[in-house]
Amino acid sequence: MQGIQVSGQVPRRTRSKGQRRLTKLQPYLFIAPAMIFYLGFLVYPMLVSLWTSFLDWDGLSANYTFVGLKNYTDFLFHDDVAQTALYNNVLWTLGALTIPTSLGLLMALILNRRMPGTLAFRTIIYAPAVLPLVSVGLIWSWMYNPNFGAINLFLHWVGLGNLAGGWLSSFDMAMPSVFITYVWGSVGLPMILYLAGLQAINGDYYDSARVDGANAVQRFRHVTLPGLRESHVIVLSLAVIGGFKVFDLIYTMTYGGPGRVTQVLGTWMYFQTFQYYHAGYGAAIAWVIASIILVLAIPYIRHMSKE
Amino acid sequence: MQTAPRPRMTAGSWLVLGCMILLSVVWLLPFVSVILTSLRSQGDMMMHGVFTWPEKFLWSNFVKAWSTGGFGIYFKNSLFIIAMKVPLGIALASLAAYPLAKMSFRGRHAIFLFFLIGLAVPVQVALQPLVLMMKALGLSNSLFALLPPYLAFGLPLQILVMRGFFRQIPTELVEAARVDGASEITIFRKIMIPLSVPPLAALFIIDTLATWNEFLLPLVLTSASDSRTVPLGLLQFQGEHSSQYTLLKAGVLISIIPVLIIFLFLQRYFVAGLTAGAVKG
Repeated sequence: MQGIQVSGQVPRRTRSKGQRRLTKLQPYLFIAPAMIFYLGFLVYPMLVSLWTSFLDWDGLSANYTFVGLKNYTDFLFHDDVAQTALYNNVLWTLGALTIPTSLGLLMALILNRRMPGTLAFRTIIYAPAVLPLVSVGLIWSWMYNPNFGAINLFLHWVGLGNLAGGWLSSFDMAMPSVFITYVWGSVGLPMILYLAGLQAINGDYYDSARVDGANAVQRFRHVTLPGLRESHVIVLSLAVIGGFKVFDLIYTMTYGGPGRVTQVLGTWMYFQTFQYYHAGYGAAIAWVIASIILVLAIPYIRHMSKE
Repeated sequence: MQTAPRPRMTAGSWLVLGCMILLSVVWLLPFVSVILTSLRSQGDMMMHGVFTWPEKFLWSNFVKAWSTGGFGIYFKNSLFIIAMKVPLGIALASLAAYPLAKMSFRGRHAIFLFFLIGLAVPVQVALQPLVLMMKALGLSNSLFALLPPYLAFGLPLQILVMRGFFRQIPTELVEAARVDGASEITIFRKIMIPLSVPPLAALFIIDTLATWNEFLLPLVLTSASDSRTVPLGLLQFQGEHSSQYTLLKAGVLISIIPVLIIFLFLQRYFVAGLTAGAVKG
């Protein structure tokens, strides 16, 4: 722009003190509206629930007792369902770290080749990821329906009818069944992220590796995988963070049952707080979830905040 | 794609293509199962199962599901909250992202980091206090109760994405405008925003879908039936008509058709935005 021409305007030095202060304040004024909402409706309630977690309180009445860390020790030592829930979350997270992510990587590698139909394949694999999880849960509840569901129908069709059953009402199969539903909706995002990562790798690296006589496996190990480092950090972090946030699918498909075998921390916190009115205990569970995620998300946040 | 010469398909390529087609069929199966159920009568389904050609296409299932499920209200509520939340959230995030990307001031990095931590905060940890806060604000059971927490929990990712885009805009452009005496708000309005239309569009679409899908916050914050959003209304519908399979599947389709249409038609922006959010600027 025409910097020289305009330099004849009021030089900065002659600005009044108030104006200069305003200039200094400006960045903060830009940030303020977002900060107010962030502080008021995320940070503040978070701190309130930290305080709540030290109380014996139903969440409604004016009476409460300060019980210190009792809710946390109860969580660790006196609540079998909490143990089940924690175990389920850990298992879920390990599954989320490996299965949809490696499938997503595989899809990305395949779709990165020149092949007819790649756009259609990408669209189909990603489509479940845009749906409301409640709808996804209901769709798959229908798939698992003991009488009319596609899964049992298929098993009968291939002559494995003895394996057919009530998937979501089975103590052993309920959790894996919900997890399969999760996989259906969760291959898309890692696929897209890995595809972007692959497309960012400089093609020359492959050419020179080829010149040096590297075979396909070696090229994958020494060019592709290191080139995807950034994608790995993001994909795996999102899987871990999501693994401890699980709620919608369990709520929709099993409601924590049968018995309580599919409870996860997210649903157990909800039940304790809003069904049993143990707000103090529920807040403690919420803080356990938050602490775990915050610790596990450190590499992700560090990566994202790098200048 | 058309200009590049197609490489010859080897046997391996054919095998991979075959596997992809098979996988796509498996991936589409849940949709097919729901669609085939929703288009027939309950009796037809009981007799012939799901995976047969319907005796008669019963489009009226959709009309019936829409009216008995009261989806009209849920759609209105969801669209209303989207119309409020999405533009406001993106405006707040863009305003905050501009100085974080293009100004130097004390505490810049700390503030950015402070927002980023929000990416790892699960909504559960604010849930019960939010219920009390909304009651105190006189918003319990109102659709407006959703707006502040939606904004707060959406900001971290949106600030991250917008800051990433703003950083890609050449600093010389901003500096030149400053020398010309343009105020920061003018630079924001006349340079940053016009140059960020594609990412803004992407964010707009992604956030629209995310807001449509939101479940836990409305589950806890809006218990009145006339302030339910679509996912909650759908669950309510399922509770009331759990054995009317065909009607229920029509309801499920009603809840996903809008997002699928948006996704299919605006996929290009969508994918660009997702990737941008993950790549640091």
